[in-house]
Amino acid sequence: MGRESILKSIKRNKPELVTIPEVDLNLFAEKLDVIETFKSNVQLVGGNLREMSQNEELDTVITALYPKAQRIVSQIPGSNLGTISITKEADPHSLENIDLAIIKGEFGVAENGSVWVSENQFPVRVLPFITNDLVLVLSKEDVCLHMHDAYKKIADRERSFGLFISGPSKTADIEQCLVIGAQGAMSLTVILV
Amino acid sequence: MSHSEKATLFNKDEAKVNWHDKALWFVREKRDTAAHKVKGWEELRNLASGIKANVLSNLDEYLIEFEEKAKKNGIKVHWASNAEEHNKIVHKILVDNKAKKVVKSKSMLTEECHLNPYLEAKGIEVIDTDLGERIVQLAKEPPSHIVLPAIHKTKEEVDELFQEHLGTKPSNGNPEYLTNEARKHLRDKFIKADAAITGVNFAVAETGGIVVCTNEGNADMGAHLAKTHIASMGIEKIIPKEEHLGVFLRLLARSATGQPITTYSSHFNTPAPGTEMHIVIVDNGRTEQLSRADFRSSLSCIRCGACMNTCPIYRRSGGHSYDATIPGPIGSILSPGKDLTKHSSLPFASTLCGSCSDVCPVKINIHEQLYKWRQLIVKDVKQPFVKKVILKTTGWLMARPKLFNLLGKSGRFMLKYAPRFMVYSKLNAWGKSRELPTIEKENFNQWYKNRSKNG
Repeated sequence: MGRESILKSIKRNKPELVTIPEVDLNLFAEKLDVIETFKSNVQLVGGNLREMSQNEELDTVITALYPKAQRIVSQIPGSNLGTISITKEADPHSLENIDLAIIKGEFGVAENGSVWVSENQFPVRVLPFITNDLVLVLSKEDVCLHMHDAYKKIADRERSFGLFISGPSKTADIEQCLVIGAQGAMSLTVILV
Repeated sequence: MSHSEKATLFNKDEAKVNWHDKALWFVREKRDTAAHKVKGWEELRNLASGIKANVLSNLDEYLIEFEEKAKKNGIKVHWASNAEEHNKIVHKILVDNKAKKVVKSKSMLTEECHLNPYLEAKGIEVIDTDLGERIVQLAKEPPSHIVLPAIHKTKEEVDELFQEHLGTKPSNGNPEYLTNEARKHLRDKFIKADAAITGVNFAVAETGGIVVCTNEGNADMGAHLAKTHIASMGIEKIIPKEEHLGVFLRLLARSATGQPITTYSSHFNTPAPGTEMHIVIVDNGRTEQLSRADFRSSLSCIRCGACMNTCPIYRRSGGHSYDATIPGPIGSILSPGKDLTKHSSLPFASTLCGSCSDVCPVKINIHEQLYKWRQLIVKDVKQPFVKKVILKTTGWLMARPKLFNLLGKSGRFMLKYAPRFMVYSKLNAWGKSRELPTIEKENFNQWYKNRSKNG
């Protein structure tokens, strides 16, 4: 059987135990403006960034950004733009023609402009990928410096499915020309509130 | 055919070689820019290297821990000693789930196991969904680079392929149009697929979860639409703890393409309700490589491709010249472990300049391992007669400094005054497709002595 023979072979062939290095976070500490760094990195990776001012309405901002969107799934309590409501039992294939999905981002990571979203924020896993356009709504207070901090933030989560999203789907597989909009969402807007 | 013979074929199209060389060097430069922005980049590389060394020294325990946690989370775990077992396991899962149409995202392991032809022979449709992989699949070619599978194809060639297979209009190779047509074509395949196969970038022992990284979103489109998700991983993909992803995800995309992170870094810990998730853990020669003290650290590779982008030989010979699943410098130290005779020319496809080791995010001493393979290969595999004679003669000559100096002097004289047809003849490989530098009167020794005299 594969399992036993593989494990036996590893046991026979592995070197003496090498201790695991500690990750010393002081090496990576930086004093920089995390919000500004995050904002510029979202744009670097091809995303749009929209910062809301106090007297603006979320729905007005989103409608101005995506005026043509009709089939909209909104997973944000403060938004009434949703035209299609989905539950955990929804067949993922039924989302094929969604124009826009609005999802809450749990936190952002300054060093790479990514946003962590987890299954808690959307009932069907395929939603952030299959939608034509994606809006992630993120609180300004929830931006951390780097990936080491990010993994601390999600250390105690309930683990099912979650991901870092950094920009819209993209490819450079044809002669290294960058094209935005490959198999996943065609555009990504991060709205900072 | 040896690497140099295949490289000669690739070099017939000079314009294409020049493009290939520059395109990959550009990716290398993007990697530098991205790396230099990170505070503590070298410390990150040290950490990654140290974590992987720990993994290899405790691999069996980590795999057991991983399996236990994954099973607890409802994932089915399978073990395959070799490619054949892997393919049989995957096929059985597909049959059990009545899956006839499969979408696949990038996985060098399934390339290594030749999974596609195996499944196709059994009547299963397998569609590669990474754009570059779909291009080479349509062209019936293997990928030529592990991150940029179709880097050897021009946009005009892609245009023709798509016209033939996807019914697109001629576009003079417009990348936006072609990518969008591929998107439509692949969306249809995603929607109709019964099962999805993905690779694994990292498998976390502590949690039993896996992480899959893509820019296109193709792994997720497949895995979340189909009822069955099969993820194939080599045993070396394990990392001990989830917090270590912080180290590896900072290194991976920056080293690969110069992006700060891939667009999607998806963490799969449980199957979605109503679906099945399987993980196939594969050995296929890896435990044997683990036994070789000089070469085991090659198993630390995280498949970023940085060593290919920087390699002066890879850039000018193309991935196909290596005739191996993993080309380039890292492939040249992995492949001889699988079949020393077949891959005996690969460790010589290097100038030993060491650039590969300098950019490797997990600090594998690639160029030193290339040199070590050479030592083994000249003992075990018959070398070309001419090479043997030249090396023997050189050794004999080097031991006789007076004669060496005399020959050097007359050589310099000949190169300077002999007619062109003699200097640039078949015997002088250095004169092929290039002008020799101007010949100086003195050799280095003389020049150095005179220089010291003059202060």
